[in-house]
Amino acid sequence: MLLQFDRLGWWRWVLVGITGLTVVYLLMPILFIAALSFGASQWLIFPPPAWTTRWYGELFADPRWLESAWVSFVIACVVAVLSVVIGLAAAYGLVRGTFRGREALKAFFLTPMILPVVILAVALYALFLRVGLNGTTTGFVIAHLVVALPFAVLTITSALEGFDKAIEDAAILCGASPLEAVVRVTLPGIAHGLFSAAVFSFLASWDEVVLAIFMASPTLQTLPVKIWATLRQDLTPVIAAASTLLIGLTILLMLLVAVIRRGTRS
Amino acid sequence: MAGVTRQAAAIGGGTGLAPGRPRRLPAGPFALVVPGLLLLVVFFALPVLALLLRSVTEPEPGFANYAALIGSGTYLKIFFNTFLVSAVVTLVSLAIGFPVAWTLAILPQGVAAPIFGVLILSMWTNLLTRTYAWMVLLQRTGVINKSLIGLGLIDAPLPMVNNLTGVTIGMTYIMLPFVVLPLYGVIRRIDPAILQAAALCGASRFQALRLVLLPLVAPGMAAGALMVFVMSLGYFVTPALLGGTANMMLAELIAQFVQSLVNWGMGGAAALVLLVVTLALYALQLRLFGTAGLGGR
Repeated sequence: MLLQFDRLGWWRWVLVGITGLTVVYLLMPILFIAALSFGASQWLIFPPPAWTTRWYGELFADPRWLESAWVSFVIACVVAVLSVVIGLAAAYGLVRGTFRGREALKAFFLTPMILPVVILAVALYALFLRVGLNGTTTGFVIAHLVVALPFAVLTITSALEGFDKAIEDAAILCGASPLEAVVRVTLPGIAHGLFSAAVFSFLASWDEVVLAIFMASPTLQTLPVKIWATLRQDLTPVIAAASTLLIGLTILLMLLVAVIRRGTRS
Repeated sequence: MAGVTRQAAAIGGGTGLAPGRPRRLPAGPFALVVPGLLLLVVFFALPVLALLLRSVTEPEPGFANYAALIGSGTYLKIFFNTFLVSAVVTLVSLAIGFPVAWTLAILPQGVAAPIFGVLILSMWTNLLTRTYAWMVLLQRTGVINKSLIGLGLIDAPLPMVNNLTGVTIGMTYIMLPFVVLPLYGVIRRIDPAILQAAALCGASRFQALRLVLLPLVAPGMAAGALMVFVMSLGYFVTPALLGGTANMMLAELIAQFVQSLVNWGMGGAAALVLLVVTLALYALQLRLFGTAGLGGR
């Protein structure tokens, strides 16, 4: 009764109402920022007095925005690759290994996910100050890799657990070397998990603010740091323009994931 | 799957080797774990331990930092505020998340799918973008104040940023998917026949909700609530931007100790407090619900 939509009576309109309002709540910031990025009002007044692309012009005219976006992109790509490679090795060892303490090790690999990131940021900041990694690309990559790796390990572990090991054994019985079996049979079998791990790792780095605030230097900053620094001064519509581009990128990424998921399923 | 097996057969045929004993990988499974393990030990476990250690060694050995942290009204207010904001965000997320998850679970797929799309879009949108959007919408001259005045509901703009209202709106926005997605799974797994049985036995809708549906959903709600609460405790960006100085939270305090005051001892002590509370609640979660609640992202 309660789980059948047409037998809920007037209750269903309450539920539909709450859900409708929630959708509005979820969409409102995204839609308004996109609209305001084209508005002529410096103070982001809605409805805007006129429409303009001025803020996009200012965004692209300032080399620091493009530079920080490029820095973010490079770091996120390196992090995604390293995270998948190290995560795959770790997940394979954790799933197929029989050594003692596997469960504890698995839990350890996931701890960066639950630890408040500000603690890691402060701790790494202290270490990097000492070894001179602060404000370097290497420092950024290391810091982001620590928070990205748990997502890769988690995703690849569950993909490996869902993959029938008998197929890998069959390949070996048929004469493939164990490495060959992994590369040509297991990896294609868990390609979907590897792809998700890469996307999650990329996003974990691309969107990361807290670690980046501590790692950044005046000459090297990521896009979130640039947004953060600008935000602390004023709510300029240039940020709305940058945000709208980021939202567009997110939608593209979602579509890409949806298409690839559909492709692997059939 | 068929493709994979065919590939396996092809490999076997290609090498022309007789089926033999399965050999092990050149490197044992443990060796594969080592690179990741080293990374996390050197750049995660050791630096965090070193930071915590500084709380009892700087400026001089002893527990003076902790005494200062507990002895000051300012810091106690920050602890209280951290718990208050996390509790409010958790309650609001549950109050909205449960009916939404329930609705999604019973709506036809075609209607539910776009709503899921919106949920995922909001979740994947850049964190700073979301926070910036709320700063703009909630400001004195923002859209929300303007519309409320336009509708004649209020006369003067409501203060909605730099206070608890702002933080709650901004953080609930971030946490909502972490409640809705797991709860949706829990509700989908409930057999509708159980609720039909309740109806046949004469239960009213309200009785069925209170005596059947809610008890079945309660473990999922508790797991989601604990996860949101723990995540909120350590949040930095959104409270720093949407909350006022009067609403400072623990994560911001830690950052301030280190960045502006360069007081590593106090920073380490505050970090330890946050860490202990987080790990204790996390252990409780594992104890009660297993690892199911983990990895909601």
